[in-house]
Amino acid sequence: MNAHQSVGIVMIEDDEGHARLIEKNIRRAGIMNPIRHFTDGTTALDYIFNDAGGPQLNGPALVLLDLNLPDMSGTDILAKIKNSDGPVRRTPVVVLTTTDDAQEIQRCYDLGANVYITKPVNYENFAQAIRQLGLFLSVIQIPDQADG
Amino acid sequence: MAVTAPPLLAVRDSPLGRRLATFMLLGFLALIGAGIAAAWVVAENQRHARWVAHTYQVENVILDTRRLLEQGETARRGFLLVPEEAGFLRSYREASEALSPKLRGLTRLTRDNPVQQRANAVLGAQVADLAVRRQRTFDLLQAGDAAAAREAFRTDSAAGRMRAIRATFDAMLKEERRLLAMRDADLERSEKLFYAILLVAGLLLLGVALTSLATILSYTRDLAHSRDQLSQLNESLEGIVDERTANLTRANDEIQRFAYIVSHDLRSPLVNVMGFTAELEASADTLRALVDRADAAGSDVVTEDDRLAAREDLPEAIGFIRSSTQKMDRLINAILQLSRQGRRVLAPEPIDLAALVAQIGETLAHRLDETESTLEVAGELPVIVTDRFSIDQVLSNLVDNAVKYLRRGVPGRIVVRGYRAGARAVIEVADNGRGIDARDHQRVFDLFRRSGTQDVAGEGIGLATVRALVFRLGGTIDVTSTLGQGTTFRLNLPLTLDLQESKE
Repeated sequence: MNAHQSVGIVMIEDDEGHARLIEKNIRRAGIMNPIRHFTDGTTALDYIFNDAGGPQLNGPALVLLDLNLPDMSGTDILAKIKNSDGPVRRTPVVVLTTTDDAQEIQRCYDLGANVYITKPVNYENFAQAIRQLGLFLSVIQIPDQADG
Repeated sequence: MAVTAPPLLAVRDSPLGRRLATFMLLGFLALIGAGIAAAWVVAENQRHARWVAHTYQVENVILDTRRLLEQGETARRGFLLVPEEAGFLRSYREASEALSPKLRGLTRLTRDNPVQQRANAVLGAQVADLAVRRQRTFDLLQAGDAAAAREAFRTDSAAGRMRAIRATFDAMLKEERRLLAMRDADLERSEKLFYAILLVAGLLLLGVALTSLATILSYTRDLAHSRDQLSQLNESLEGIVDERTANLTRANDEIQRFAYIVSHDLRSPLVNVMGFTAELEASADTLRALVDRADAAGSDVVTEDDRLAAREDLPEAIGFIRSSTQKMDRLINAILQLSRQGRRVLAPEPIDLAALVAQIGETLAHRLDETESTLEVAGELPVIVTDRFSIDQVLSNLVDNAVKYLRRGVPGRIVVRGYRAGARAVIEVADNGRGIDARDHQRVFDLFRRSGTQDVAGEGIGLATVRALVFRLGGTIDVTSTLGQGTTFRLNLPLTLDLQESKE
């Protein structure tokens, strides 16, 4: 991740426990970027598109997205991000969810998801997966939103 | 939709048939009766006719006899008047000769009637007397004594012999007339009877025909009615079946969805439980290290309770939480797997079962060798058209179970055999393993249920999956087993999987 820039991580995850475990393991992987956590889709979208500190108005970000949300489906959020006009559409979206249904995975990639990760139920595997994701995040290039 | 009970169509048929049969029988009996009566009446009629003819014959003979007698008398008189005319003599002789056969005939014909017999006897005597007198007349005339002949003739006439004979004839004729009238009446009566019987038989026939016709018509009407009802019933039955199938499909979909959602949503909290258990474990390790360090440093801050908590209670509690959540995870995965298989799209294709079994044997080769067990196919297996993945899963599970549950110390012998039964195939997987207790025969197919000693790892998922798969393939599965001797699982599958039919 572009270290010189403050790339914010937007985590949309309705389960507080999952969110905490994800955050812990990302931190353990050495990623210190700010993480904004939202438990529902509406406020998350509001932050992404309208907040002064959100990706639309304030530069690059990365979205960690859970598909099972109380108010809307994660795929709706994915579609909204990827079909938007502004620079947000280039925001990398990592779908991180319990669903391992082949059709769902396909659908997410069709909608423009950049990475799809199934949360392993086994915690050791889960922790390892998140740490690897952290390592992955530390090397990938995030597009500069301002160039939009 | 309420199921309307089918009307009892068959109930009307039986009395109707009986009624028809009764009418037919009655009709035939009446016909036979009429036939016999007619035959009898015809015989009677003929008898009467014969008697009438007889009477006429008697009458004829009487008249002939009389004519001959009169002819004789006329000849006698003519000869008396003109003795030199030989024609009279010839006429007389002819009449005399013809007379006796007639008289004999008359005697024969009147033998049946005492009255006529008596009259005939009288007539015979009179005719004989007359014949003597006539002969004398002719004798006298031929002798040339015409005067004596005439004298004798006068005496005869005075005696009225001819008149007496005529009276006798009249009496006989009268008797015959009487008989004729009587016999005519008889004949007429028997003819009337004949027509009456004909009429009755005709009416009977007409009645039977009309009744039969009416019965057959009503029977046909009933039949048509039943057929209509049946077709209606059929249609509604199809409707009911469709509706039930739709309901079942809905219910099944609902269950599939439910199973999927439940198992899916259960996983989320489980991730937390397991995750934080791991975190807790890490923290407990830190704590234990702290206690160890404090002990090593000889600090008296650490109490015995602290040590117990850090070294035993916490690891034990965490261990139980971990093993329980792991078990729960496996169960949830099993449900998820089952529901996933239920949603899978089936793709029927011809399957060489023997090759499939051989393939399963290769997969299990290591474990078969380990236990010195054998897997073989006995005889020919039928070729079936079904979903490869499903049938593979089914047979794999069954063979796997057979290898898993061996009898202690007995090398396994697993035999797969099969045969066709009409449009279906029966496939058996038999082993000589430890067997299943009879009271568990149904239970083993239930999810999470197992039978016998729990000395082999397993969740009780395999047979539940097998049964679900077999049902989806339009088949059934049952088990026969004797504890300690072996188990046979019997699959009954359609030879060709009809997706239309199995699409629940």
